[in-house]
Amino acid sequence: MSSPTKTRNPLIALPENIWRSIFRNPLPSSDLGRASTSFTNFFLHLHPVKVHRNSLRATFTLGLGLISFFLFMILVVTGILLMFYYVPSTTQAYDRMLDLRGTVAFGIFLRNMHRWAAHGMVAVVFLHMCRVFLTGSYKPPREFNWVLGVLLLLITLFLSFTGYLLPWDQLAFWAITVGTSIASYAPIAGKEIKFLLLGDSTVGQEALLRFYVLHVAVLPAVLSLLVAIHFWRIRKDGGLSRREEEDALPADVPAPAQVEFVQGPAVVMATSPAAAAAAQPVLQKRHYGIQGLVRGPFTKVGNVPDRSVFAWPNLFMAELVVFLITVAGVLLVSLFFNAPLEEPVNVMHPPNPAKAPWYFLGLQEQVSYSAFWGGVGIPTIEVLLLLLVPYLDRKVAGVGRWFARERLLANSLFLTFVVVNVVLIIIGTFFRGPNWEFVSPW
Amino acid sequence: MKTPAKPEIEEGGDAMTRRRLLSWLSGFGLFGSLIITVLSNLIFIKPRATYGQPNRFSIGKPEDFPSGARVSLDARRVCIVRDGDKIAAISTTCTHLGCIVAVSETGFSCPCHGSRYDQDGNVTGGPAPRALPWYRVSLAPNGDIEVDKDTEIEAGNYLRV
Repeated sequence: MSSPTKTRNPLIALPENIWRSIFRNPLPSSDLGRASTSFTNFFLHLHPVKVHRNSLRATFTLGLGLISFFLFMILVVTGILLMFYYVPSTTQAYDRMLDLRGTVAFGIFLRNMHRWAAHGMVAVVFLHMCRVFLTGSYKPPREFNWVLGVLLLLITLFLSFTGYLLPWDQLAFWAITVGTSIASYAPIAGKEIKFLLLGDSTVGQEALLRFYVLHVAVLPAVLSLLVAIHFWRIRKDGGLSRREEEDALPADVPAPAQVEFVQGPAVVMATSPAAAAAAQPVLQKRHYGIQGLVRGPFTKVGNVPDRSVFAWPNLFMAELVVFLITVAGVLLVSLFFNAPLEEPVNVMHPPNPAKAPWYFLGLQEQVSYSAFWGGVGIPTIEVLLLLLVPYLDRKVAGVGRWFARERLLANSLFLTFVVVNVVLIIIGTFFRGPNWEFVSPW
Repeated sequence: MKTPAKPEIEEGGDAMTRRRLLSWLSGFGLFGSLIITVLSNLIFIKPRATYGQPNRFSIGKPEDFPSGARVSLDARRVCIVRDGDKIAAISTTCTHLGCIVAVSETGFSCPCHGSRYDQDGNVTGGPAPRALPWYRVSLAPNGDIEVDKDTEIEAGNYLRV
């Protein structure tokens, strides 16, 4: 490998050698180069070398999964920065919030970004779930990835909930008081769960410390792990869902013999770029079958290539665009709207009404009818049904299309669930006043 | 990769070979260790001592509470009720979702979700599922009244002073 540079002065060649040792490929100009670039770059190798055109259709995915992920990245970065100035202590936390406003450079802006990205993530993860359901994308072989997605939604909500306490203002204190009381209605272990969460019988220093540890360490770690599995499963389940007919081979493209794939040289090629060169004869014949080397029950070896395009640059450009739009959105909102900060905690005087964050107001509205059924019973049933969706609905028709006619019943049921929850949230947010009595926002 | 041919093991044989027994025992041991790990973590995060407000505390002499007084100690989350020579402590934590109820003309009312209670803490309206609990009240040797929020007693049980 080093023969071309041997004759040159190592010092002169140093920058180039270092560069080449990091980036094995120059910017690709051939299909082989595009494939190698995707393989040999750590960040790019998470992607397939080739991706189906349908996965790139913005009107199909709306980019919601990517937006969720990028919002999470924004949250990690801004969250770590905020940790430099935050102290999880009941006597200091609120003062630190004021410091963010007053003295810390960009403090208020970082807090805005963190708060709005968190609200955005809750909303976008939920919308992502709606997209996956309404396009029937949870059908086999993607059942388990749907289950992972539901778990990710729950962890997102819990992350948001634990972060809500940290400013230690009135909004935080009473939302967490109400929220953890809902947990205590759980059968059998309810009181224990509340005690474990709070580390005490009421919301205080112990609760603040516990929520802090959950918020900055435990839950992000769990979320990252599940996100990694979620992404990995997308690859292993054969990419994003699409209509069956989109896989059909056009008549003018000869379907290659599969035997050529499973033979020796091609397999070696996948592991090292050096061997890739040796395998070139095979590649020139069919260089697009590289991802087909993974032989699972779901990878569509013979069908993928014709309607797919190289991930470099098509997929990466699309991801870059979604990333820029996401960052731009968060920056814009953070410029114009400040994250709310109420009075410091006053244990004696609950605000009236004491309201949870907006995404829990549907829950709080339910709770005002019956604490057990509204706060524990119905939510548990809803989550169980969501988890079981791909195992209950076994029809295979209508995958990969929005609002497929074949899925009218399933989609109607799901939309009913969505609409009921959204209406409850709207009622809880706008139509409830002091003592949780009905008020008109106009 | 092909699995190496297993010698000596009869396919489908139910007989307990040494290998099978050892596998079972190791599996059992590993699974048991996992359960013990989870349990010890649960025990670890359940605090043995709490650093917040103590649940047993003294509230002063009986003379501090004249007959007919209904004094709400919001920081302690109890209401001290004195009726003649009878004294009692009623929780002011709403049984619905944990807000602090306010003393009102007719008893107690919650500012959060509109629960209402009568003078003895029984629910008279709103979403509250249970009556406000009464706590045990006792006289300490130094003459102070002591409230024990860990011990709930039946409503109507007064301490005579």
